[in-house]
Amino acid sequence: MSWLPRKKIVVPVDFSGESVHAISVAIEMAGQPADVQLVHVLFPLDAVSPGVVWGEVTDEKREAAVREEFDKLIATNGLEGVTVEVRFGNPGLEVAEAAEDSGAELIVVPSHGYHGVKRFVLGSVAERIIRHAACSVLVLRRSDAE
Amino acid sequence: MPHRRIAALLVLSCMLGTFAPQTVAAQEGEAKQAAAGDSPSAMRRIEKQVDDAFEKVNEKLGSVMFYPIPVAPGQTVPAAVLWLVFGAVFFTVRMGFINIRGFKHAILVTAGKFDNPGGHDEGEVTHFQALTAALSATVGLGNIAGVAIAVSTGGPGATFWMIVAGMLGMSAKFVECTLGQKYREVRPDGRVMGGAMYYLSKGLGEMGAGKLGSVLAVFFAVLCIGGSFAGGNAFQVNQSLNAIQETIPFLADNGWVYGLVMTVMVGVVIIGGIRRIAAIAEKVVPAMCGVYVLAAIVILVMNFSEIPNAFAAIINGAFNPNAIKGGVLGVLIIGFQRAAFSNEAGVGSAAIAHSAAKTDYPVREGMVALLGPFIDTIVICTMTALVIVITGAYDNPEYASLVKFKQGAALTSRAMDSQLNGFKYVLALAVFLFAYSTMISWSYYGERCWAYLFGDRASMSYRIIFLVFVFLGSIVSATKVLDFGDLMILGMAFPNILGVLLLSGKVKRDLDEYWAKLKNGEIKRTK
Repeated sequence: MSWLPRKKIVVPVDFSGESVHAISVAIEMAGQPADVQLVHVLFPLDAVSPGVVWGEVTDEKREAAVREEFDKLIATNGLEGVTVEVRFGNPGLEVAEAAEDSGAELIVVPSHGYHGVKRFVLGSVAERIIRHAACSVLVLRRSDAE
Repeated sequence: MPHRRIAALLVLSCMLGTFAPQTVAAQEGEAKQAAAGDSPSAMRRIEKQVDDAFEKVNEKLGSVMFYPIPVAPGQTVPAAVLWLVFGAVFFTVRMGFINIRGFKHAILVTAGKFDNPGGHDEGEVTHFQALTAALSATVGLGNIAGVAIAVSTGGPGATFWMIVAGMLGMSAKFVECTLGQKYREVRPDGRVMGGAMYYLSKGLGEMGAGKLGSVLAVFFAVLCIGGSFAGGNAFQVNQSLNAIQETIPFLADNGWVYGLVMTVMVGVVIIGGIRRIAAIAEKVVPAMCGVYVLAAIVILVMNFSEIPNAFAAIINGAFNPNAIKGGVLGVLIIGFQRAAFSNEAGVGSAAIAHSAAKTDYPVREGMVALLGPFIDTIVICTMTALVIVITGAYDNPEYASLVKFKQGAALTSRAMDSQLNGFKYVLALAVFLFAYSTMISWSYYGERCWAYLFGDRASMSYRIIFLVFVFLGSIVSATKVLDFGDLMILGMAFPNILGVLLLSGKVKRDLDEYWAKLKNGEIKRTK
């Protein structure tokens, strides 16, 4: 039985183990993979790295590479049915916006679970999502959190 | 991971902290001066304040990095230079003179003769593109201005030691860039992140020295950021201004105008994101190198009869310099220092660019990288040195003040213009482009280190500080900028060479394996 009756859930994914855990939690809550949308946010390209200067790295190629990673992630973890999206910009803001655009009811954030200075330095994506999201946000606690 | 950010914040704040009290003190001094009725223009006051602040930092850092190490009775070598010489000699011997035996293979690889026909190797750019990117960072005012200063202060003999440093530097570059490839990270979007900070932390981590690796990586990243503000930025603005004011005298008293123009031009690329300008600048650099080398060759041909004397002066100066130049050791120090500043071998910076190349064999990119010091130092720097020697510009009393104030680019400009009338205009353009492309490339190095310490999100703050230093370069005196640049860039060699020494066994194993495959035909030419 699903925790949310037929409601969409957005999961920001950075392809870490924590992301996979968050996706499983989201599928369990939604009841079916089709109601779970995975989002990966890419920082805008700089103008000075060799790949960009020589035109070898483009946003199209980056998006294609990420979609390929999504395919692998889905295949290896049996997540068939979830939808995926690649966005460009500030991760916190973009995830909140992705949820709003898809009318999601909930965002499940895989957290690093750090405290003190570590939290100050690393935790701000989750915090930004919380600040900007129009829906509820569930921040998971990492099993090995300090 | 976050420890490196905290450590970096501490080190950076200490560095900035050394500026602050001095600026206040300078302001007080200026206030008194203004009250006494002796009021220089506002811009001059700011120039002096910034200059004084640089001096303070240079003194503090210089006392550590250039600590005189006794090597013979009554003779000392600055710690940073001794470290570079030791590293370069060690890597050359340890890798079995890869700088010589790998040279031909390096050219073939760069020409794409060993490229994977499918083109599916991981990475962003071709070998040639990676080499061009690394060269655009190294071929800069160090080749034109730095060399002129070296020959003027160390005599013609400095040329010899610069070439030796270039040859040994090829091996150092090979090892560090192989490691850059070996320990790079490929992100989900296919982007590659690599460089000394990655091989120091991951490589030493693999050897069970993770803590040391992390400390060295942070130390390296902080100095690289400093280097990107100084040698890769302010020094370029400062010295290109020198050469350009030879053709636009207005700028001699209004350097800040040039600083402003450069700030805007760099700003539209690094903040405005206009990639096309960076792309053009980077692609024009090889052509400008060609023009520069060609002009130098023309000057040498015009003075054909002087060439034997020049070579005699170089060899004689290298082994029997007069006492004023500081003896053999003094000349050797100058030669090595300027060569390292120009080709960055042992410094670790180029590994950032070379790690982006597409290849399945880290050693292969290391080979490509060893062409860097060859082109930068053995070809381009030598050309500058020969022109300065052959024209006698280095001991011409007319240019004594340029030497004294380390205005090397102006010296090269006058020396070349005296032979090829009007060449100063071509040189001004070349110098501008070299400076510009070097700054763009170094902003990439600095930004990668900044992102390593503070995360990708912090990039904008780095870019803003970078632009501040572009402007500062136009108002600080050449001596202070050169010294500060030396400290940062040569300083990077401390953590880098230490880590690379510890990791050199891995490179040696990879090299032996690759070389064996190459010799037994397992690795073949594809074109």
